[in-house]
Amino acid sequence: MIEQILASGVVLTTPILLAAIGGLVNRQAGIVNIALEGKMLVGAFVAIVISAATGSWLVATLAAALVSMVIGYGFSLTITRLGANMITAGLGLNVLAAGAIGFLMSYAYGSSGTLRLPDVALLPHVFPQSVESVPVVGQLLAHLDPLTILAVLAIAVLPFLLGATRFGLWIRATGNAAPVMLAVGLKPKLLQEASTAFAGFFAGLAGAQLALASIGIFNEGLTAGRGFIALAAFYFGRDRPWQTAAACLLFGLLDAAQIRMQTVGLPPRLIGALPYLMVLVALVVSQMRSLRRTQ
Amino acid sequence: MIFKKLLAGVALSLLAVPGIAADAPVAMIVAQGGLGDGSWNDTANAGFEAGIAETGLEGRAIESNDVVAQGEEIMRRAADSNFGLVLSLEYAHGEPMEGLAPDYPDTSWAIFNQVRAGDNIASVLFGEHQGSYLAGVLAAKMTTTEGVEGINPEPILGVIPAVKSPGIDKFVVGFIQGAKSVNPDIEVKVGYAESFGDPTKGEQMANAMFEGGADIVYHVAGGTGLGVIAAAEASGHYAIGVDTNQDGLAPGHVLTSMVKRVDVATEELIKAYAADKFPGGETLKFGLPENGVGLTEMEFTKDIIPAEYLEAVEAAKAGIIAGDIEVWDVSSQGYPDFYN
Repeated sequence: MIEQILASGVVLTTPILLAAIGGLVNRQAGIVNIALEGKMLVGAFVAIVISAATGSWLVATLAAALVSMVIGYGFSLTITRLGANMITAGLGLNVLAAGAIGFLMSYAYGSSGTLRLPDVALLPHVFPQSVESVPVVGQLLAHLDPLTILAVLAIAVLPFLLGATRFGLWIRATGNAAPVMLAVGLKPKLLQEASTAFAGFFAGLAGAQLALASIGIFNEGLTAGRGFIALAAFYFGRDRPWQTAAACLLFGLLDAAQIRMQTVGLPPRLIGALPYLMVLVALVVSQMRSLRRTQ
Repeated sequence: MIFKKLLAGVALSLLAVPGIAADAPVAMIVAQGGLGDGSWNDTANAGFEAGIAETGLEGRAIESNDVVAQGEEIMRRAADSNFGLVLSLEYAHGEPMEGLAPDYPDTSWAIFNQVRAGDNIASVLFGEHQGSYLAGVLAAKMTTTEGVEGINPEPILGVIPAVKSPGIDKFVVGFIQGAKSVNPDIEVKVGYAESFGDPTKGEQMANAMFEGGADIVYHVAGGTGLGVIAAAEASGHYAIGVDTNQDGLAPGHVLTSMVKRVDVATEELIKAYAADKFPGGETLKFGLPENGVGLTEMEFTKDIIPAEYLEAVEAAKAGIIAGDIEVWDVSSQGYPDFYN
């Protein structure tokens, strides 16, 4: 049971974690990225289309990340150069992404809800099937895909990148005191744009993982609010990589657990809301703690 | 886009002779999930297109990104644009349709899966509970069969409905009742995915059920169900498809599909309308006796299903048609004691 919850929990965590990685760096630079959801959806769509066309998961994943990155960059320009409100612009981008994909689907594929293409190449499993016999984590390892490993690596190196490299410090300084950055002759707007492009890149990866991990089908509801869960996760983690990852994992594991609790007859609506409820509780607790610290 | 389509509809209706209802074009409002769902909307559209081809009427499928919230608006614009018959595939359009139909007495309306009052509204009901009962009989027989790959000895089945609502639980309860008619002690695990469009969730839920000893999982969850079928294929177990023939989505791993012939319904409605015999104010039933629901031919799985099981399914079908077996219908009878 624990084995399966772990394996399933990691599958459910990865897309949220990838999106949250981009989102936390973005927020460190002072931009709250509401549009992760929309960019994930774009990533998933591009991944399916390119994977079917090229037969390569790698090309598809890169294409998804790059397209979302370009969209993320364009999105940041409206905020940094045109002074748009970041929440409004983000919501607008989510609506635009869903609408544009809906249009493309009906225009190019004559379909308006689900896109099923032949020969979609899925993400490979990193380890051979034989690792399944490893106790406790065997199932998890057997289903591990390259993007999950990338997410873990990113979380491992981000504290160093943000805390000990020049670029990382610039990002954080931009978020904390943009005028100071200007005063010392750096360009905070450029850094904000770069960080938003970075968030787009990772949201694109998140979408690609969601679409190509095992199903290989695009559906307009595929992201199912995961971009917003990612948002909650990096708020909860106060933009710190490790804490954010922990929040994502907590949500993924709870979701995997609630799926199993439902089947033993507990009320489905209540159990289904459990992961969201726990994230809410966690947010309240972390906020109360930080308040106490400042008093 | 809708606006354009409606404009086209206006232009068409100006060409048609006004006043004679059966000449005015026909509109079909596509439900959530949209065309391309390989299921409900696509099947209905096939019948819609066959109907307009056969009658020579003009017809338009109307799509909207916000089909639920804009329901009334879409329907009013369709009627204002002189469509003579408006079919809505969207369940949530029933209530607004009942409210607005009296404002458009010359327009014929049709709604599915519910009964709505109005002299110009035709209500169409399907016997999903009856079809699901047959699926339950087959699954309960199969789940303890020895020597079939992917089938374990435990009498455990699974159902993954999208949301908890009478329209969906109608399938679930029919399936459970059918399964229990074969084996009263059978366990049927039920897990709601809370979404019609989240295949990842569907896949994880199906895996959880397979791990829990289930070997056949019935999905009633649209796009989410595509993940259930993918999980069955990946793990070597079985899924049961819904609405359309989904047997070919994972050949050999979709035991059968509970098919709902909404195409027959849309086609017949259009033909009746064209012949000036539209069944306004009536409720049309497409159950087992009318061949409105049923199981597929099991093209890819018939080799692993023993002949006596198929005979049992046929016997159950005959029993339901003859009235010897009464299948519980959640949408009209509420919830039974054995399922809440």
